[in-house]
Amino acid sequence: MNAALLRRAALLVWTLLVFTFIFAPIVSTIVFSFNADRFPSLPWCGFSLQWYEAVFADASVQRGLVNSLIVAAATSVIATFLGFAAAYVDYRYRFFGKAAYTAIVALPPTVPVVILGVAMLTFEGRIGLSGTLTGVTVGHVVLAAPFAMALVRMRLADLDPDIERAAWNLGATPWSTIVGVVIPFCLPAILASIFLTAAVSFDEFMIAWFVSGVNETLPVRVLAMLQGQVSPRINAIGALVFAVSMTLVVAAQILLGRNSRRSKEPQQ
Amino acid sequence: MNEFDDKITDFRALLHPLNRRRFMQGASALAGAAAIGASAVPEPAYAQDKVLNLLSWPGHGDPAFVKPFEEKYGCKVVAKEYVGGEPMLALMNQSPPGTFDVVLADAEYIGMLAQGGLIDKMDPADYPLADYWPEFQKFGPHWVNESLYSVLIRFGYLGIAYRTDVLSEKDVESYKVLWDDKIKGKLGFFDWYLPTMGCLSLYDGNKAPFDISAEAFDKLKKTLFSLKPQASGFYSMADQFSMLTNGTAAAIPGVGDWVVLLLQKNGVPVSATVPKEGGIQWTESMSIVSSSTKKDLAKAFIQYASSPEGQARSAILPSYWASIPNKKGWDLLIKDHPAEAKALRHTFDARNVMDEYKEGKIHIRQTPVKQSIEEWNDVWSEFKSM
Amino acid sequence: MSDAQSTQTLPSASPVTSSARATRLRFAAFWGLPPLVWQLAFFVVPLGFLVAMTFWSVKSFRLTPDATLANWTFILNAGFFRNAYIYTFWLAGLTALLASLIAFPAAYTLAFRLQPATRRFLIFMLVVPFFTSYPVRIYSTQIFFSPQGIINAALHPLGLGPISVLNSPTGTVIGYLVLTLPLVVLLQTFALMNVPKTLIEAAHNLGCGRLRTILTVIVPSARIGLVVAATFAFVLAFGDYVAPLYLGGSKPPTLSILIADQVKSGNHWPRASVVAVIMILTLVAVMSTMLALAYGRRGAKP
Repeated sequence: MNAALLRRAALLVWTLLVFTFIFAPIVSTIVFSFNADRFPSLPWCGFSLQWYEAVFADASVQRGLVNSLIVAAATSVIATFLGFAAAYVDYRYRFFGKAAYTAIVALPPTVPVVILGVAMLTFEGRIGLSGTLTGVTVGHVVLAAPFAMALVRMRLADLDPDIERAAWNLGATPWSTIVGVVIPFCLPAILASIFLTAAVSFDEFMIAWFVSGVNETLPVRVLAMLQGQVSPRINAIGALVFAVSMTLVVAAQILLGRNSRRSKEPQQ
Repeated sequence: MNEFDDKITDFRALLHPLNRRRFMQGASALAGAAAIGASAVPEPAYAQDKVLNLLSWPGHGDPAFVKPFEEKYGCKVVAKEYVGGEPMLALMNQSPPGTFDVVLADAEYIGMLAQGGLIDKMDPADYPLADYWPEFQKFGPHWVNESLYSVLIRFGYLGIAYRTDVLSEKDVESYKVLWDDKIKGKLGFFDWYLPTMGCLSLYDGNKAPFDISAEAFDKLKKTLFSLKPQASGFYSMADQFSMLTNGTAAAIPGVGDWVVLLLQKNGVPVSATVPKEGGIQWTESMSIVSSSTKKDLAKAFIQYASSPEGQARSAILPSYWASIPNKKGWDLLIKDHPAEAKALRHTFDARNVMDEYKEGKIHIRQTPVKQSIEEWNDVWSEFKSM
Repeated sequence: MSDAQSTQTLPSASPVTSSARATRLRFAAFWGLPPLVWQLAFFVVPLGFLVAMTFWSVKSFRLTPDATLANWTFILNAGFFRNAYIYTFWLAGLTALLASLIAFPAAYTLAFRLQPATRRFLIFMLVVPFFTSYPVRIYSTQIFFSPQGIINAALHPLGLGPISVLNSPTGTVIGYLVLTLPLVVLLQTFALMNVPKTLIEAAHNLGCGRLRTILTVIVPSARIGLVVAATFAFVLAFGDYVAPLYLGGSKPPTLSILIADQVKSGNHWPRASVVAVIMILTLVAVMSTMLALAYGRRGAKP
C-alpha cells in the first residue's frame, strides 16, 4: 500500500517536472516582458510596461503584425479548402496512386523548415514570388494544408459513407450532396482548421525568414531582433503572439469539442 | 582590388540566370495556381510614396534616430536588417528593383556595389563632408574612379572586448591573451570571418592584414585553428551582448566599443581595447540605391544622417553605439549627452578616438585581396566545426 | 481507407447517363486536383529544383546553371560537413531517446492515472507550446540556463552548481527537448490510451508486476505510437536551426547552421542544397527504418 502510494507520488512529481520544463520558458517570457531591466538577469528589477510601449511604438513590429495577419488569414482559407478537398478525396475515392496522392499532400511537415525555406526561396525567386506576401502565403499553405486535411479527415471518419452513396443513387447530384450533407457535417472541423492553420502560419518563422524579403512577418521580426539586439521587447512580442495564438487554438478547441460531443450524443 | 572587380558587372543577374519572363511563360500553369493565392493577398501598403526603404545593420531604423527625419518629411523609414556584408550583397541582388532606397553598408563593400551598378554616384557638395574630421573627408573606399559613392556615417575600432573581472588592462595589451588559460573555454566569437581573421592577421604580424600571401594565409589558418580549445561559441550580434553579460564569454576578439559601451552603461564590467599589434576599423556608410524611385528622399535621408543632429543621434543608437566622423556632431553630442560623449571618447580636451586613429594602429577593414571571400569563409566554416 | 469504405470508383456500376458521369468526373476533379496541383507546384517542384541546383555552380557570387558534381565532391569531402553530419545525427538520436524516456512516465500518468477531465486539460496544455513562438521560447531558455540565470540562482543555496550548459551540446539538446518534448508526451499519451485496458487487467490478474506489465504488455502493444513519437522527435531535432544557434552557440555547427552559413557567407546556394538533399535522404531513410521497425514486428507477433 505504501509502496503504491510512493509510486503514485513519484509519477505525479515526474509529470509535474516535465510540465514545468515545458512551460517554464513560456511563463518566464510573460514574466520578463514586465521586467524593467534591459539585459535579462536576476534579481528582478521592478515592474514595467515600457517594453509593451516600445513594441506598440515600433513601426516595424506593427508592420510585421499586419503582414502576419494578412498571411495567416489567406493561408487559413486556402489551406482549409485544399485540406478539405484532399480529405474528401481520400474519404470518397479509391484510385490508382492514391497512396502517392495522400503522401504528396501530407508530407510537407516532415521536411525540416530550413530546407523548405531554402527550396521555396530559390524556386520562388525564379517566378517572381520571393519577397512578396503571396510568396510567404504559398509556402505556409504547403505547410498548413496537411493539418487541415488531418482535422477534416478525422471528422469524415464519423460519417457513414453509405449516406452519400445512397443519395447519389437516389439521383442527387454529387454537388448537392456535398453541399447539403458533407460540408454541414464537417463544418466544425472546417472552422477548427481555419483557426488551426491560421495559428500554424502565424507562428511560422523559417520559411517566412527565407522568403519574406522586406515584407517581414512578426516571427521574422522576432528572429531578426534575436540576432540584432538584446531587448525585452522580444518577451513582450512573445507574450502578445502567445495571446493571439492561444485565442485561435482555444477557438479551434471549442469548436472541435462541440463537434465530438455532438457526434457522440446520438450514439449514447 | 580583388578578383570580383572585373568579373561582376551586374549583380542583379546573380540570382536570375534564366530570363525571368521566359521562365514565367513556361511556368504559366504554376502561375495559374499561384493566382488563387495572389488575388487573396494584397501587397503591403507601404510600397507607397512616403516611405523610405533602408537596408542596414540592425537598429538603424530605430525611432530614436529616424524620428526627426520622419517628422520633417512626413514619411516613414522602413528598415530591413542584415548582419554581415555577404547577406547584404545577397539582399541587394535578390530583391526586385526599387525595394530599397538607401543602403547602409560597410565601406569595404562599396566598391563592389558601385561596380555592380547597384548604387549611384553622389555629389560631394550635397553633404557636410567639410565638417568631417580631415581623415574622413576623402575616405578612400568610398571613391571609385574619382567619384563619390557613399557617405561615412559611423565607425569604430575592433580589437578585443573583455570582461574586466576576468582580465586586466595589462592582460589585453596583446592578442596573445586569447590563448590565456584564464579564458579557456570562455573565448567568444562574433560569427563573421572578416573582423576576427583580420585581428588575428595583425597578430601574425601582417602589415596589411587583408592583403596577405598564400603563406601568410596558411599561417593565419593555423593561428585561428589553435584558438579552438579556447572557444565558447559563435554568436550572432545580440548573443555577444548576452554572453558577455552573463559571463559565458570572457573575451571576444574582432569586436570593440560597439559591443561594450552599451553594456557598460548597464553596469556590466566589460571594456574594449586595441592591442599593441593593432586594430581594425569598421565603417558604416550610406549610399543611394540605383533602382530607387525616391532618390530625392534618399538624398535627404543621407543628408540628415550626416548632419550634426543625425550624427549625434546615430552615435548612441539603442542597438549599439559607434563613433561619428562629423565634428559638429561631436559638439552636439558633448552638449546634449556629455556622459555618452565621454564614454565614446568624443571629447576635444582629452585623448579621443581620433588620436588613436592618428597613431597608425588602426587598419581599415577590407575584403580579402589575394584570396577570394570564399576561401576565407571556408576556413571560417572549418574552424567552427572543428 | 478501410475495406468497409465506399469503393466509388469513377465508372460506377449503377446505370448512369454519360452526362451524369461527366458531372461526377468534373466533381472528382474539382476536389482532387487543387490539392495535388498546389503541392506539386509548391512542394514537389521546389524540392526537385533544390536537387537540380546541387549541380549548379557559383562563380564569384554568380549562380549559374551547370552540370557539375563539384558541390557534391566539395561537401562530401569537407571535414566540417562530415563532423556536422555525425554530430547532428548523434544529437538528434540522443534527443529522440531522451525525449522518449523522459516523456514515458508522464504519458503513463496521463493515460492511466488521471481523471479524464484532468487528462483532457493537460492534453490541451500540451498543444499550447506549438503555438507560442519557438524562437522566443529558446531565448527564454537561454536566460534560464545562463551562468547567473534562474537555474544557477536556485542551485546556489543548495550548494550545487554553477552548471554551465550554454554553448555546448548539452545546451543544444536542452533546446531540442524544449522543441520535441510536448509532442512526444502527446503522442505517447495517445498511444498508451489505445492500449486495451482488458489486456492490462489480464496481466495484473496473472500476477504480473507493474514494471513487468509495462515492459511486456504496455510497451509492446503501444509500440507503433512510441516509435512514431521518437521518430518525430528525431525529425524535428535533426532539422532545427534555432536551438543549436542560440543554446549551442554553433559550437559545433549542425547541418541546418551549415545550410544557413553556406548561403550567408558566399551566396552558395548549390552547396546549401547539397546539404539539404543529404538531410532529406537521411530523414527518409530514418523514417522508413523506424516505421518498418514499428509495423514490421507487429505482423510477426499475433
